[in-house]
Amino acid sequence: MTVSEVLIQGPDPEVNPEPSESGEIAGRSPMRIAMDRLLSDKVAMICAGIVLLFVLIAIFAPLLCKLFGVEVRAGDPVTDTDSFNYPVIGPPNYGFTWEAPLGLEPNSGNDLLAEWFYGARTSLLVASIATIVSTVVGVVLGLIAGYSRGWGDRVVTFVTDLFLTLPFLLVAIAVSPMLVERWRDNPSMLDDASLIALIVILSVFGWMGLARLIRGEVISLREREFIEAAHVLGMPTHRILFKELLPNLVAPIVVSFSLSLPATIAAEATLAYLGVGVTGRPSWGQTILRAQNWFDEYPLFLYAPIIGIVVLVFALNLLGDAIRDAFDPKSFR
Amino acid sequence: MVAYIIRRVIVGLLMLVAMSFIVFALFMKNPVDPAQFSCGKNCPPERIEETRHALGYDQPLVVQWGNFLKGVAVGREYPADEKMREANPELVSECAAPCLGFSQQLQMTVNEEIAEAAPISISIAMVAVVIWVIFGVLFGVLAAVFKGTLIDRGVVGGTLFLYAFPTFFVGALLINFVAIKWGIFPAPGYVPIAEGGVGQWLLQLMLPGFTLAVVYMAGYVRMTRAFVLESMSEDYIRTAKSKGVKGGKVLFKHALRAALTPLVTMFGLDFAAVLGGAIITESVFNYYGLGKLAVTANNNYDLPTIVGLVLLLGGLVIVANIIVDILYAIIDPRVRVA
Amino acid sequence: MRLKRTVIAASAIAALTLTAACGGGGGGGEDKTGEFKAGGGAGAGKDAEATGPVEIPEDAQKGGTITVMSNNAPHTLDPTRTYYTDSGAIMSGLVTRSLTQYVYDEKTGDSILVPDLATDLGEASEDGLTWTFTLKDGIKYEDGTDVTAEDVVYGIKRSFAIDTLTDGPTYQTTFFKDGDKYKGPFADTDAELKKLSGYEPDAGWYGGEDYDGVEADGNKVIIHLAQPFAELDYYASFPVFSPIPKAKDKDPLAYESHPMATGPYKFESYKPGTSLKLVKNDQWDPKTDPGRFQAVDAFDFKFAQDTAKLENQILGDKGAAQTMMTYDDVTPPTYKAIKEKAPDNLIEGTSPCTYMYRPDQTKIKDKKIREAISWAYPYQAAWKASGEIVGVTIEPGTSILPPGTAGRVDYQYPKGQDGQTTDPEKAKALLKEAGAEGFELKWYYERDDEQSVAKKDQMVKGFEAAGFKATPVASTDETYRDDQSNLDAPINLRYGGWCSDWPSGGSWFPAQWIGSNANKPGMPNPTNFKEADADAKQAEILKMDADEVPAAWGEFDKWMQETYMVEINAGYDANAFIKGSKVGGVVNDPVKGMPSFSIMYLK
Repeated sequence: MTVSEVLIQGPDPEVNPEPSESGEIAGRSPMRIAMDRLLSDKVAMICAGIVLLFVLIAIFAPLLCKLFGVEVRAGDPVTDTDSFNYPVIGPPNYGFTWEAPLGLEPNSGNDLLAEWFYGARTSLLVASIATIVSTVVGVVLGLIAGYSRGWGDRVVTFVTDLFLTLPFLLVAIAVSPMLVERWRDNPSMLDDASLIALIVILSVFGWMGLARLIRGEVISLREREFIEAAHVLGMPTHRILFKELLPNLVAPIVVSFSLSLPATIAAEATLAYLGVGVTGRPSWGQTILRAQNWFDEYPLFLYAPIIGIVVLVFALNLLGDAIRDAFDPKSFR
Repeated sequence: MVAYIIRRVIVGLLMLVAMSFIVFALFMKNPVDPAQFSCGKNCPPERIEETRHALGYDQPLVVQWGNFLKGVAVGREYPADEKMREANPELVSECAAPCLGFSQQLQMTVNEEIAEAAPISISIAMVAVVIWVIFGVLFGVLAAVFKGTLIDRGVVGGTLFLYAFPTFFVGALLINFVAIKWGIFPAPGYVPIAEGGVGQWLLQLMLPGFTLAVVYMAGYVRMTRAFVLESMSEDYIRTAKSKGVKGGKVLFKHALRAALTPLVTMFGLDFAAVLGGAIITESVFNYYGLGKLAVTANNNYDLPTIVGLVLLLGGLVIVANIIVDILYAIIDPRVRVA
Repeated sequence: MRLKRTVIAASAIAALTLTAACGGGGGGGEDKTGEFKAGGGAGAGKDAEATGPVEIPEDAQKGGTITVMSNNAPHTLDPTRTYYTDSGAIMSGLVTRSLTQYVYDEKTGDSILVPDLATDLGEASEDGLTWTFTLKDGIKYEDGTDVTAEDVVYGIKRSFAIDTLTDGPTYQTTFFKDGDKYKGPFADTDAELKKLSGYEPDAGWYGGEDYDGVEADGNKVIIHLAQPFAELDYYASFPVFSPIPKAKDKDPLAYESHPMATGPYKFESYKPGTSLKLVKNDQWDPKTDPGRFQAVDAFDFKFAQDTAKLENQILGDKGAAQTMMTYDDVTPPTYKAIKEKAPDNLIEGTSPCTYMYRPDQTKIKDKKIREAISWAYPYQAAWKASGEIVGVTIEPGTSILPPGTAGRVDYQYPKGQDGQTTDPEKAKALLKEAGAEGFELKWYYERDDEQSVAKKDQMVKGFEAAGFKATPVASTDETYRDDQSNLDAPINLRYGGWCSDWPSGGSWFPAQWIGSNANKPGMPNPTNFKEADADAKQAEILKMDADEVPAAWGEFDKWMQETYMVEINAGYDANAFIKGSKVGGVVNDPVKGMPSFSIMYLK
């Protein structure tokens, strides 16, 4: 065990969780207990509500645009902006109007609410896919490392440590143009290429923590009687891994997922700031990039996506904390 | 113990070597011509061929990698091609060990570039570390002491909220309001101690230091809180309490001390990471540290600089890892057995 | 997807997309109503008698550093390759002295041509085929060695090596003796000549030091021409005509890392794409220089800066920001703010450049369709979407020659097209006449540049409203220029700009619309325009006397557009940049469309 493992697993990983909470409720699964705890946590429920709201916005972005009567990327600079290229309707300069609830984008006159809805869609899409992929990779590698003693473990651990040492941002900004380069001959594919490149980068650098966590858990589980029993009964390894071990790893997986999702959303915005971003479709990161110039004079342009990111990331982090607490009664709330 | 240390160092070295190979393979075997990528955006075609020779990119990957490792170990000379060195002896550049490469564009070794940029990164890192450790531990202890109260929730929630802001936005906000609008701090611009004295140097580092610290603070608050609470429930603390030792003394003499070990190790890893340059913070504040150097190099198609920096940063983290693991092994015998 | 914040900034792109650098533009400037003045006559912008020193204004303080920031970075600072406005302004203004130079005349707001290293503006022989420039005495390099005529000659020879030292101006290859055969001093063997692009064994190419097109005689530089070149004195202001000591040119491609200074400032450090620090050159003698002074200690250029940050800093005007400035065009939000808060720190002016959409004559054959495009193009919407401020960073354009060019004729073609009117109905009518309803327009845009995408969206809307079929073709930030200059590109409309190299049509038409250049790789004739009568007219004008030439080009501009409709004018470039309150002597040099670094000081 290395230090980072101690840190990732929290104060005392050796002590097995689940001291009897109270004797009378017998027969509840740890999952069930955690769910009950979570449901009674007001903060967690509010956060879950917020996250759900964002997810709905992302899914129903086109519908919402219709509902608000706004259209994405349909501005007309001639009629929608003045001689300084400032929008002629909408907040903050002209008061609220249903025509453009969040105002228009300077220069192009595109509607900012529509941009925001679709931006949420891209940001959540990128973050969810990347987190799912990195979770799957992390779980599989963690299982392999934890269960195979010897070479398999050593190789996976080595690779994990290797990826942890690579400077993420630096490698990301250097590598993403190379990934996109493959589509240079076919620029009409570039939009998709940039999206895929971003997801790949976020996934490739997102799995290590979970892999270590799972490995640690598996190492402590594999000596338990039920695994020994399965082994003795001649159950094939993949069955042991996925039917016996995996169900016992739900807690760390859920916790890890819920905490790395917000990190991925934030990373998308950060990478956009460094120029590694999706092109051709609205995304919060790209809006922020364009809005930088207008920081002072037309702040709503910048604040809308920033608030989107901050609220979503904050809510997801709190929710993740709550989930962890729910699974781990040893934490102190 | 000695065996553990030796094992740890060997693994660390192995990892350095492996990392250098991966980085090499990643950058040299990709659709972008590495010579083009080393020679700059506006490179005339004739120069590309020359660059390929000068940097030795015309050789097989393994040979290049070998030369690079040799350069790190004993230093090397550029251009890599012997004939080119003989033809123009006055254009040969010496790159002393540990040689991390030669930037064809800037006509200087990567080591020289790093030597120029490193003091800035180190300065920012030091200020940031002081801010985040002091406030992180302080708030963490505060939250632990007032566990479950509004203060606890406020501190933990507040730092988490700050943490949710993108770093570049925090930086831009500070520059725009604190520096430009309100004039509380001077407009950002690095001033070396030699030029402006310690006061000026520190003043110019406050905003970037704070920006960088915000990223790490939340983690330290939560970690401190958790470990303090953990140790507060340990038997020996209960014993101390029941013996009538005062609350403050229990906290600082016993509980915090127990939390210190994991904190110090976490700190070691983080410090190594920020030492290697805070890309976002340095970009926002326009301080030419290692992070900004990396961004600029990437912008300008300066591959040798990028490769050198990736290896430097990775190396720093690996070394920090080794040190921390060894320290930890000395303190905590659990580590050794696993 | 490469980090390209450097290019995102609104109008900074403008400077880059222009295919040529700018000299020339004798007239220009803006009067109070904001309308362009007509340019002066051909000879008006010259003063062969001007002498140094230039007086430093009274309100100047001694010393200090001026920090110049830009979102862009100069392409190269090699004197031979300097052909962009930014590098030209920096090198000619501060570091390298050429045979002649431009100085800014405050009274008229014009730049005029005066001697620099030469004692006068050069003397042409009777037949116009030999020019002689006499160097002033006592000119030294930064290291104290004497500047010789041989060094100037070497510099000129060096400029023939266009394969090695790419992207520089190329008039010498057209006008100088053996210009098409001589390949510069570096390719001195057959093997090396064979490596050059377009090599043909029988073309009589040669290289090396032996070239008798330029020769040194004592302190005289003598240039022999293949055909008369009445405007050579203007061309002699380019850094191509600056002395380069051969001994320092061991690696020609590395020379840009420290070109030997003859001007008031020398390189202290240069990091391509990042920064340039210039410090005083103590070997420079103000008495020999009628165009520059040495008021501050240093210039600190910082390239690839974030536009929003640099603008906010300069706008804030606190502390160090008071001595900062930028030569990037101001963005709309900052323009509004500085207009209200500190109009003195905003400098507006003209630049001698025209943006154009160029229908490929071989693909859009019907003139009526080309006229229809000019009615269909959404001028205002396209400008705004790409972040231009109409009337500030861009002006509606009519003639091809920008205001300020000598002999320019202001006309409107098609009739009533004032350079900003979009009229889909007229376009539709023209298309119907041509029987080409639904004609497909194809052009490149930059997929990874948000502003380019926004502009494309507007163009699609505009073209479709006018009955065209609009097919934008994706390109990228990096490949855009190469893609556009590809002869076989699947497009029929190209976008580009051109700037005067000197204030007459001579630096416009033969450079872009000569029939012999049509359908060649690299698109030297971007419209593939090849008409025998147009070629004949151009040849005729080139043979005219120097004082008749400008007016003839002005008429040619009108004739060519009315007869063939070769371009859709997408606006004249204009400048607006900001500075800190302590920087003085900042004026827009209408010749380069850049600030006048040579007379800048701190208050």
